[in-house]
Amino acid sequence: MAEIREFEDKAKKVFSAERKEDIWVLILAAITVILGLTGVITPKTFPSLFF
Amino acid sequence: MTDTHSGVMKYVPGFIFCIILGWLALQWDQSIHKWQKDNQESEKILKPYLNEGKPLLPFDEYVAKSEEKYKEKLSAFEHGDIKEKPKKPHLLQKIHYETIASTKEIPFKFRFGERMIQFQLTYVAVLLLGGMLLRNTIGLPKFILPGTVIARPVIKPGIVLLGGYYLWSNLLKVGIFALLLVLIFIVGTTVLVSIIGRRMKQDDGLMGVMAAGTGICGVSAAVAVAPVVNAKPRDFFYAVGTILLFGTVALFTFPYIGKALGMSEPVFGAWVGTAILNTAQLVAAATWYGHDSLLTANIINIVRVGFIPLVVIYCIWFYVIRQAKTEGRHQKINTWQVVKEKFPLFILGFFAMVTLNEFGVFTEDHRTIFGKQFLQIFFAVGFAGVGLNIAFDDLKKAGGKAFVIGFLAATLKAVLAAVVVILIGSEAFRVK
Repeated sequence: MAEIREFEDKAKKVFSAERKEDIWVLILAAITVILGLTGVITPKTFPSLFF
Repeated sequence: MTDTHSGVMKYVPGFIFCIILGWLALQWDQSIHKWQKDNQESEKILKPYLNEGKPLLPFDEYVAKSEEKYKEKLSAFEHGDIKEKPKKPHLLQKIHYETIASTKEIPFKFRFGERMIQFQLTYVAVLLLGGMLLRNTIGLPKFILPGTVIARPVIKPGIVLLGGYYLWSNLLKVGIFALLLVLIFIVGTTVLVSIIGRRMKQDDGLMGVMAAGTGICGVSAAVAVAPVVNAKPRDFFYAVGTILLFGTVALFTFPYIGKALGMSEPVFGAWVGTAILNTAQLVAAATWYGHDSLLTANIINIVRVGFIPLVVIYCIWFYVIRQAKTEGRHQKINTWQVVKEKFPLFILGFFAMVTLNEFGVFTEDHRTIFGKQFLQIFFAVGFAGVGLNIAFDDLKKAGGKAFVIGFLAATLKAVLAAVVVILIGSEAFRVK
């Protein structure tokens, strides 16, 4: 049992970075969606970023 | 506090570098696509002159005639005479039109754009090839490296936003085939590699990460499984080296193999979704091939990464529980704990986007903004990170029997998957 706990603890540590990454991913996607829905970014925003 | 600050700051230069590279590649992409359209329009304009010797119209008449044709098609669409809504005509700028009218030749940059698109040298290829070349020739200063590593996951918000393109019916239709492919090929490879590894008396740690990596989701699965199977750092690098080497070869060859085999975009998407081991690499290959290919590959990928917890549970059973049993010990597995800890959260964002689209929250403009435009921004930054992190030194870390087993298993899976997806055909994998 102690061995399993040790494995689980190790797995948790390695994977926590990925979990944090996923939370940032969701925040970034949510911000983009809110900006899109509120009209802050429009279909003209993207072409305006380039020459 | 200072440590945290410097900890975050070390990522800034590399991340900004990826944003700049991403912007440059998108600028390139916008230019070649515009030139390609200009080239096609120029050919259309010159056709009557070259075939029948007819003189070219003055610019104002050319604009009026094109707009008139568009209005006619639009009216036919509104009356239901044609099914597809006509696109607004792409008109040449006055200066270009007049140049063509006087020289009767298509400008070089237009033909160049056409050629670049034919060779599929879009922003995806530029970032991946350019990044790889930069990393392995001139090299990157040390202070740039950490930021390029954290740029890779920027692909994921793009995957979430792409959810706005699907309806649940699309997802379920393609999802059934995705589930079958994942079960047969991905879980099959994991089981096969672990059994062959045991038969060939390879180290459990090494074969555990190799089985998870070649089977399901490349480096992420290898990271998730490594502590469970007590993999040594050397084992981990061997496995990751093998996964990256296969992924790199696949990334640069599959789009051309797909074209040579005449694969449609949905079929290619299903193939790379099954055969390429790493999310970033498969998204890159699918994007390289076309948007429809990406839509299909994304569903397969979502189903696949959803299987990570199951692969970890399998590895715990195969390498820990089963091993303990043969040694006369009894060990239990906390399944719920593993699922809770290993489930990739970003998938929930993707499903939320599909649901919002199902409820009609998104208009056509929103779908363009999220699923095409901002998707490209996120992908460009992420692909810059992917390209800059293809280091030949890392790939050299793959070696030995384990490499042969992993590479052969991944290749076999790719070949069989190609046959199966071609036999199933485009319609099963088409999203819309």
